[in-house]
Amino acid sequence: MTASTIMPEARSASAALRRNFWRGVWRVMKRKPSRMVGVVIMAGFAFMGIFGPMLYPERLPRDTNALYAAPSWAHPFGTDFEGTDVLALVVTGARYVLLTGLVTAVITVVLGAGIGLFAGFRRGRWDTVLMRITDMKLTIPGLPLLLVLSTIWKFTSAIEMGLVLGLLGWGGVARAVRSQTLSLRERGFVEAARGLGLSTPHIIGRELLPSMAPYIAMNMLIAVTGAVYAQVGLFFLGVLPFEANNWGVMLNLAVFGGGALTTTAALPYLLAPLLAILLLTLGIVLVVDAMDEIFNPRLREE
Amino acid sequence: MKRVAAVVSLLSLAAVTATACSSTSKGGSSASGGGVFTTIDGFKPGLDVNGPINPWNPKGNMFQGYNAMKLGWVKNTLTDPNQFYPGIAATWEIAPDNSSVTLHLQPNNKWSDGKPVTAEDVKLSIALAYTQGSTAFSTAPGAAGAASDVEIVDDHTVKITQDMSNPSVTFVRGVMDSFVVPAHIWKDAIPANFWDTLKASRGEGAEADKARAEITALSDKVLAFAPAKDVSSGPYTLERMNPGEALLVKNKNFYNAANVGPDQVKLLNYTGNEQIWNYLISGKLDNAPFTAVPADVMKRIGQTPGNAVVKGFSPVSVAMAFNQSKKPYDNVHVRRGLAYLINRDEVTKIASPEGGTPALTTTGIHQKPAEAWLGSELSQLEPYKLDVAKAEKEFKEAGLKKTGGKWTLPDGKPWKFTINVPAPFSDWVSAAKAVTSQLNEAGVSAEVLTSADYPLYLSELAAGKYDVGFWLVALGPAPYNIYQRLYGASNGWSILGGKIKHSAPGKDGNWMGSPETINVEGVGKVNPGELTGKLNTAPESEQKAIISQLAKAANQDLPVIQLWDYVNTQFINTSRFTGFPENDSEALRLTSGVWLQLGMIKKK
Repeated sequence: MTASTIMPEARSASAALRRNFWRGVWRVMKRKPSRMVGVVIMAGFAFMGIFGPMLYPERLPRDTNALYAAPSWAHPFGTDFEGTDVLALVVTGARYVLLTGLVTAVITVVLGAGIGLFAGFRRGRWDTVLMRITDMKLTIPGLPLLLVLSTIWKFTSAIEMGLVLGLLGWGGVARAVRSQTLSLRERGFVEAARGLGLSTPHIIGRELLPSMAPYIAMNMLIAVTGAVYAQVGLFFLGVLPFEANNWGVMLNLAVFGGGALTTTAALPYLLAPLLAILLLTLGIVLVVDAMDEIFNPRLREE
Repeated sequence: MKRVAAVVSLLSLAAVTATACSSTSKGGSSASGGGVFTTIDGFKPGLDVNGPINPWNPKGNMFQGYNAMKLGWVKNTLTDPNQFYPGIAATWEIAPDNSSVTLHLQPNNKWSDGKPVTAEDVKLSIALAYTQGSTAFSTAPGAAGAASDVEIVDDHTVKITQDMSNPSVTFVRGVMDSFVVPAHIWKDAIPANFWDTLKASRGEGAEADKARAEITALSDKVLAFAPAKDVSSGPYTLERMNPGEALLVKNKNFYNAANVGPDQVKLLNYTGNEQIWNYLISGKLDNAPFTAVPADVMKRIGQTPGNAVVKGFSPVSVAMAFNQSKKPYDNVHVRRGLAYLINRDEVTKIASPEGGTPALTTTGIHQKPAEAWLGSELSQLEPYKLDVAKAEKEFKEAGLKKTGGKWTLPDGKPWKFTINVPAPFSDWVSAAKAVTSQLNEAGVSAEVLTSADYPLYLSELAAGKYDVGFWLVALGPAPYNIYQRLYGASNGWSILGGKIKHSAPGKDGNWMGSPETINVEGVGKVNPGELTGKLNTAPESEQKAIISQLAKAANQDLPVIQLWDYVNTQFINTSRFTGFPENDSEALRLTSGVWLQLGMIKKK
């Protein structure tokens, strides 16, 4: 046999594998319709984040004769203190919230997984140093630090906000990935790879990482929800710059300006961003549930 | 979540104690009085159980009008700063040239421990006031309206003389607005030789500086002074406290005790407006001082049986102030253009529908006293009604350019109009947002920035960090106090040794940075800071003319754009008590403790 005859076969084999994978995904999704709902919700939020602001004029129209208007066909979630449509605020505000979540998730996962893998695989001194740093990081309380930071830094862009939240959030992931690595590195296939004389980057990148990919991906999604809660919380407390369509600012104004917890007029104004956060969380939880089964063959009931 | 749980448990605790107290008090009520009067103290958001019983301490558990007494209670009338309700002083004589005030104390007044209230108590309280610094009792050299001598004429008469080298028309007000505490309890708070030290501090040179430093050093000691129990000369004494409320009981020794209605007063704890709304909706409060309330909550409060609203004058207006060291706000045409673009009616409707009336125009004065001070001249001032064409004209005159529907700076660079407000003031945040929406619609790219809290906001504002910020103005009734908000220390003018000194923008707290002189149409060249300084000493007959000039200067030069004038909207509940002040009563500007001690409130 020559090399030229092997290659096409290998390619077709990997293509078949990929086909099987997507077929598996489809099966998993079909088994529980709730998972489909999760995907639809996530797709909806992605659409809102990317195209949402394009659906509305740059400056949202106001109707000062309809302050805190009740829900109607024109304003499904009523209007805010200025007479602006609440739904429009939620839709246009999604981009900041989601982008922050995404940036946070990427940073959390890249830093957390990188440090965890390296520490777990190398062990010894590197492990000790990196894990002590992680321990120290984990002892810093996130919210009080953010409150202090917000007095000197105005987090005007979603990327800045995400960066800070990401840098505050990688500790847990690093710890979990390290323990997974410690367990995997003792397995036979890693031993075999070492015996074959494969390089450390190869072992980490090609052997260890794929086994942990689903776990990391799930962590990434969960980090998105964490980031959304953290930043909405900060905006709710009123310590961050004012942006009328920010979900946290909306919650703050509904409660403290509109009296949404006291009377009903501002209630839709309060519920709309809350519902958005709830749906986003639900979507992520359902997708994580699906991912769990896709990547963990033992959970498959075939 | 934890915070919410804590608040809920506090509220329930308050409810439990509330029922307990009302059941015990019913038995002891007499025919004319009795009952528990429930309210909140607007000066004390967040009761501190561990706070000292000390009126000067911000966390102290002395409540103005209830167990904390002043010499007199300032009425804050439209134009006269020297009108008072009697407090510790029953009557007072003001020298015709305002050089002294002679106080005659209530003849039959006793502390709650039975000792009489005497001139010695007043003198010691004045000594304590010096350590804290106040307008009348200041050790700062050259401070206007400071007392120079405190003389005990007899047991119930004290004469306080003003330092006439630098007099102020608000001297008497400064004296009367002072707390009085019992000398037999407080005598150890300051050293016995205090008055000698004070005398030494009046001179110049190293000795005087040392004496002043000694007095300033006493400040913290006085603030921390904590008597073991409340010995009050007010209508009530503090009986007990928990995190939810303070309970005060009637002081039988109070001079007017026979006319004081309720047997007990309960002051409920609150940390935010929404808590006060809930108290009002449940009908718990017999009175709540001014609280910002959204329209729908107002409606809901009105549905509770017995609840009613009384409205009166409040010498406060809110304005948008410019930092003229920043471009393009140094240009008067830019400020005028902005004034033409802001629809004040709409801003007030959105931000403060129940607690404000849109400013008629910018004068620096609340519209009610403005009518009294300016008369027909008020209508001759430019009203700055919404007028896009006029705004465009002004902007063009300032050299601004309009490209692609957006205004840019004269050099073509983008112009971003940023308004700063403190985040906890929800009415200011809504107002700032409404202003930016209006400006954005007119092609001025505008945004709101919030600061975490009010003290931080004020410090950043004073440091010149903001372009434009919200600023309280018109803090009357003394005309000097009104105009020093526009042309006082924050705009570079301070009174030192009886002379007006102007500091350059960015120095000595001058963040507004107005020019030192303004050419006012129909008046000529004026120095607004000097005119304001003159208000401190000028007799009433001359004040009118000065105020007219200053109102014209402010109206033409717009160091601020006045947005709305506050209306003192208070809540009362008439189902348990009667005799509340009516609309526009002067008593509305004082706590309900003062209403109680004057004998207005009676049990139903």
